[in-house]
Amino acid sequence: MSEELEITELETSELLEIIHDCLYDGMAEDVVAGVKELLRRGMSPYDTLTQGLVAGMDIVGVDFRDGILFVPEVLMAAKAMKAGMAILRPLLAETGAPAIGTMVIGTVKGDIHDIGKNLVTMMMEGAGFKVVDLGINNDADKFIQAVREHQTDILGMSALLTTTMPYMKVVIQALKEAGLRDKVVVLVGGAPVNAPFAEAIQADAYCRDASVAVQTAKKLLAEKRNQVMVG
Amino acid sequence: MLEPKNHVCRVILLPSGLRGEIPQGTNLLEGARMLGVELESICGGRQTCGKCQIMVEEGSFAKHAVTSIRHHLSPIEGREAAYWERHESKGRRLACAAQVSGDLLVTVPEESQAHKQVIAKAATQRAIEVQPAVRQLYVECDLARLDDPRGDWERLQEAMAKQWGLNGITIDPVLLPGLQPALRDGRGAVTLSLWQDAEVLRIQAGYAEGVYGLAIDVGSTTVAAHLCDLRTGAVLTTEVMMNPQVRFGEDLMSRVSYGMMDPDGVGRMHRAIIQGLNELAEKAALAAGLSAKDILDVVLVGNSVMHHLMLGIDPVELGGAPFALAISGPLDLKARDLGLTAVHVAARVHILPCIAGQNGADNMAVLLATAPHEQDQMMLVVDIGTNAEILLGDRQQVLAASSPTGPAFEGAQITHGQRAAPGAIERTRISPENLELKFKVIGREEWIDESTQAAATGVCGSGIIEAIAEMFLAGIIDRDGRFMEAASQRSWRVRFNGRAGEFVLAKPDQTASKAPIVITQNDVRSVQLAKAALYAGVKLLMRRRRVDRVDRILLAGAFGSFISPQHAMVLGLIPDCDLDKVTAVGNAAGDGARIALLNRKRRSEAAELARQVDYVSIAVEPRFQDEFVAAMALPHAVDPFPHLNQHWPGQLKGQHQGRPRRRFNLVKSI
Repeated sequence: MSEELEITELETSELLEIIHDCLYDGMAEDVVAGVKELLRRGMSPYDTLTQGLVAGMDIVGVDFRDGILFVPEVLMAAKAMKAGMAILRPLLAETGAPAIGTMVIGTVKGDIHDIGKNLVTMMMEGAGFKVVDLGINNDADKFIQAVREHQTDILGMSALLTTTMPYMKVVIQALKEAGLRDKVVVLVGGAPVNAPFAEAIQADAYCRDASVAVQTAKKLLAEKRNQVMVG
Repeated sequence: MLEPKNHVCRVILLPSGLRGEIPQGTNLLEGARMLGVELESICGGRQTCGKCQIMVEEGSFAKHAVTSIRHHLSPIEGREAAYWERHESKGRRLACAAQVSGDLLVTVPEESQAHKQVIAKAATQRAIEVQPAVRQLYVECDLARLDDPRGDWERLQEAMAKQWGLNGITIDPVLLPGLQPALRDGRGAVTLSLWQDAEVLRIQAGYAEGVYGLAIDVGSTTVAAHLCDLRTGAVLTTEVMMNPQVRFGEDLMSRVSYGMMDPDGVGRMHRAIIQGLNELAEKAALAAGLSAKDILDVVLVGNSVMHHLMLGIDPVELGGAPFALAISGPLDLKARDLGLTAVHVAARVHILPCIAGQNGADNMAVLLATAPHEQDQMMLVVDIGTNAEILLGDRQQVLAASSPTGPAFEGAQITHGQRAAPGAIERTRISPENLELKFKVIGREEWIDESTQAAATGVCGSGIIEAIAEMFLAGIIDRDGRFMEAASQRSWRVRFNGRAGEFVLAKPDQTASKAPIVITQNDVRSVQLAKAALYAGVKLLMRRRRVDRVDRILLAGAFGSFISPQHAMVLGLIPDCDLDKVTAVGNAAGDGARIALLNRKRRSEAAELARQVDYVSIAVEPRFQDEFVAAMALPHAVDPFPHLNQHWPGQLKGQHQGRPRRRFNLVKSI
């Protein structure tokens, strides 16, 4: 069912579209080839990232939110994205391109279910964020330490059980005590979590799924940076 | 503002007409319950599930002598407001979110009424060797003499040794006041009820017959008790009740949370279940024409949270990893120490061991009843609830695991999902040719087709499994679970809201609410997540045992009794297997409890098994995510289903609606 195209003969706009398609279909090899071709044509690593990969993952995110794509497809897309990123990362570092942001993420103490969290990690990486994944079963100290260690903009916490969810409040309290609360945007998610809960524990937002997490992270981070500039 | 103390509000509930006065400030869900109207609630009053919807009738109702206005309920705010932002309200309220401040006439729509549930928990006839822990012995004792200064108990001990070869028997001290009267009345002859050939539990004058026991499966929703004749092994009666803890939280984790949140939560839940068990014992005895005081032995099983709450132990440690049990071994106690006072004063309780924090004593009972450890063939046993407990093994080794399937199979998180109750759609058939369908609702025998009117209220878990499997076989959804755009040209039943599809299962004239019952794209997604979790768990155990197929599959639990094995397999809920070898075994946990009640050797076997079974914590297995993701496709991304293929040749491949792919000619471009 596939139509094979000569990569060097395409217009750049068409090339970008096809990279988006290949991301959508989770074809890592093709994404890598597309990224290399963009770079060969002299596109900057940062533009290649945003116009090629991030824009493509945005489409994936929208369809995931609408239930058209599902976890397996999104994971494939994220893997393809990662393959493209592997080429760009060293170049981005070299050129000192602006970082979109850094997120520290993990499931809270007592919670060992991490597939949802992994999905958020991949989608956030897909959106160009640097993600420090702490894995499962993290106590407040681990979160705090990681927030300190990495130039963290966003802290993401996930819980799958009603019984582990209250621990998010403990972490937020610990952030406050460590004087870090205002430095990071706190996003929470997981099956039993909802917006009123997020508000009650003074998180910045509840994110229903990975795609919402990306949008919320971008939005809140932009607001925060604006405030800093104004203030 | 000063409110008069103890102000009461008059509330009338329609259509039942039940009425009464409830204190101002009472939550309406609770208030309705006080007036005898049970409302459906899956979330247990957390203002999330939206199942307890009611409508306030406004106006002056002379007939009922009330003036009812919606402002007699507290305003919509918080979670309820958030709920109505997502759902069409049609002026309805969530009863659990509304406090009563004045008189009200309230209509409870049919779908909000809680029905008595239909549960397959009748005792099965399975061959059990009857060798109970309590048996009766008739003993003739020497009468007291002046030259024999021993006590009557010592004389009785000697008689037991002489006549029965039983030495060192003890007696529950509470029986001592009755000892001499019994000996006197029987002129030295008594019938003793003896526990484990070690302790006397009852003394009856002369010859007496009749010793009874109770095997109870304490489920989080349903409690089922089998009253058995311990001499014959016969089940005299089976009684079922709702677990009275449901009012503190619908599912296990919300009960653990309740215990965390409320200082007396654990105590309250403990007392509720113990009181429930006392009532159940009395009800069962009454039904069998006995007195609860005739019950001398009780076997209790339940998942680990129920197990802890029965014992009054805070289950908080079971609320998160590492899911630590306070005690995993079997327990022998006095019924009275547990507060089970309805039964005989000296009655005994045995609680089966737990396998692990998420595979409790109920799963141990399932293991006893299905006995994979006695099989030469590879047997898979799944007990599906909010968690699916999985047992896999044979004579050589049995593995146990628990998989987080979530509540989708119980109808929660499904647009029109509900529990199995009258009115729920439980069966569906869709014609692959023209997508016409027929369905069955619980409580009605015949198939309901296009032209039949009905009053379906929703879809229960087994109905959802069947509907989605049929949708897949009919090409309405593809292998990935996505609605086929092409299917909307084949039938009006497939429609698209933007790009997300939905399928009309029941037309407006076939439902109680007069709105269609649909299966949405997101419903399909919820079921895919649930079934993938189960399949992935099974697969990890199969890998651990190094087998690539199973010979037999047993579906335990109420849910397992209602689902169609073929459809479960089409969906990829269970692995491929000869369909004739897939069987529903009903309430296997209850059967296991009964086995332990009737045969004391099985109790020690269970204790032994609990140590031998290898528990696998699948959520942290490195391969879990890959298996989970591969299991999301229907029936599976890569695993073959040869037996199913014979049944549905060709259909099982399913459709795949890839777009025409554009990709680079990589060979040349390198």
